[in-house]
Amino acid sequence: MSDTAMEAAGLGKRFGRRKGWALRECAFRLPAGRVCAVVGPNGAGKSTLLAHAAGLLRPTEGTLTVFGTTPGAARERMAYVAQDKPLHAHLTVEDTLRLGRELNPRRWDAAVAGRVVADGALDPDAKIRDLSGGQRTRVALALALGKRPELLLLDEPMADLDPLARHELMGTLMADAADNGTTVVMSSHVVAELEGCCDHVLLLGAGQVRLAGPLDDLLAAHTLVSGPAAALDAHTVVESRTTGRQTTALIRAGGRLAGTWQSATPTLEELVLAHLRSPEAPPLHLDADDATDEDADTSVEAAV
Amino acid sequence: MTAVTTTEAPARTRPRRPLTPHGVTWTLLRVHRSALWFWILYVAVIAAALLWLYGPGAHAAMDELVRSRCRDGVIPELGCDAPGPAGARWDAILSLAGSMIALAPVLIATWAGGSLIGRTLEDGTAHLAWTQSVSPTRWLAAQLAVPAVLITAGMLPLTLLHRMTWAAHPELRHDSWNWSDSQIYNANGILATVYALLGLAFGVLVGMVARRSMTGLGVSLAATGFGVREFPSLRPYLWPAETRKITGDFSGSLGMPVGEGSYTSTGARLPDVLCGGRASCVARHGVVGEYRDYHPAAHFWPLQLVETGLVLTVAAAATAAAFWLLRRRTA
Repeated sequence: MSDTAMEAAGLGKRFGRRKGWALRECAFRLPAGRVCAVVGPNGAGKSTLLAHAAGLLRPTEGTLTVFGTTPGAARERMAYVAQDKPLHAHLTVEDTLRLGRELNPRRWDAAVAGRVVADGALDPDAKIRDLSGGQRTRVALALALGKRPELLLLDEPMADLDPLARHELMGTLMADAADNGTTVVMSSHVVAELEGCCDHVLLLGAGQVRLAGPLDDLLAAHTLVSGPAAALDAHTVVESRTTGRQTTALIRAGGRLAGTWQSATPTLEELVLAHLRSPEAPPLHLDADDATDEDADTSVEAAV
Repeated sequence: MTAVTTTEAPARTRPRRPLTPHGVTWTLLRVHRSALWFWILYVAVIAAALLWLYGPGAHAAMDELVRSRCRDGVIPELGCDAPGPAGARWDAILSLAGSMIALAPVLIATWAGGSLIGRTLEDGTAHLAWTQSVSPTRWLAAQLAVPAVLITAGMLPLTLLHRMTWAAHPELRHDSWNWSDSQIYNANGILATVYALLGLAFGVLVGMVARRSMTGLGVSLAATGFGVREFPSLRPYLWPAETRKITGDFSGSLGMPVGEGSYTSTGARLPDVLCGGRASCVARHGVVGEYRDYHPAAHFWPLQLVETGLVLTVAAAATAAAFWLLRRRTA
């Protein structure tokens, strides 16, 4: 069994020669069993990254491996829910689940898929085209979970759901993932919907990895400081704003902070927003993609 | 991890009857069920028309012919050139059945480019299949193989029926139907099936290139329409023709025409038939008579087989290109 669910090295993708790079020199490592949030603004390359992981796109340069092999070879072990939840509109819910069984003969768990659909009180004979956005998402998730994936790739899964349905489905998803030790990679530009359920973060900006690593380590590596305007030269300043004589900044501490600063640990949202507002801030990798697993563990402990 | 998966597997797989479609085949037939019904109906309508032409329609037309006494050929009557109502109906239905067979490749290409491939790439349902346990290559293979089997299963019986009807009633055909007319020639041999398969291959390739249903539909229609129209113009040159020379004028048809002109006393050929009637030209070149290059009916199968080989080669190239595109795009 591989300890790495997904690993990228020098991954780059360009759609056509005249267009710019959708992804460029992406490198990260995601250990198995994590729930990873892929965050970033629209157009940052989140969907492109997930489509590569799902084996739907071929990289222009570099590599992306899933469970130590190519995405194509790992096809059976992962499930993918695309952003627009493609399903055959003229099929019924029941036939859609049958499709899952027919196309995944070695893995399909009808009970799991049936439960996800039943929880939403969906009529099995309803046609997909007659379902609401939330109900479609539920069917798409049922199809993905019925496959019993070891890696679940979700591209903006909750984008078209109302808050209640979002809460319910997220609960179903997280409970299932926790029970089975599934690695989940979930993209979103709504950071709030990911807080509290992810334990790993990949922040993309303009096709590049800005932050990568376990959530707690990333939060611990940053400090939100406020105080009278003063130099923060010893530290890496991600973002700094001065109103009057008061400065608020998100920094990566490079030593002891002067006593005049009040410090706090940022939230995921503060961390992400600060990085999005400051594209020039240096990237930070805490996922130890060059190191072996043992080294990664010790470095994480050291960081904590 | 793999070991765990395989030990869990037997509980989840059910015994299947070997002939029930399953896997990608089931999915394809279910998703394109209306197209399947349309195809079954299309073949059934043509088959019914051909059976009617063979049986009741032909009997009515023959009775009419007997009653008109044109058949005896004793009284040459101008009215005998035009068929009666039953004969005209027989003629029209034969023409309709032939047109429907001839139209099949274009319809198939339109469907394959627009619905089978173009739309599924546009709305992401192809990607849905590729992220199940089915590789894109296997998916595309199924998109080609299942329709190809159904097309062949529909077209070959129609060809047999057409041949049977065609052979049974030579008297009803008058001079308006020649074995080498494209519509008859295709429907009487394997070319009807072969062109239908070409339509499928073109449609799939265009769908793969276009990745849009409307573009896929339009371009496959145009490409296959062009192919079906233009390939037959090569037809006369696919097998060595026979030549017949006479010193006067030809009357009547000699099968599939290849070329004609005049020949001189030295054996040289001139393009104009008897110099277009100009005596000075005849004298100057020493024109002796007229020649015609043609294919007799005996060339039917050699010509069919060579054309089949060519068309299938083009179809195979289109298929290979579709697979190449798919592999280049997906991992």
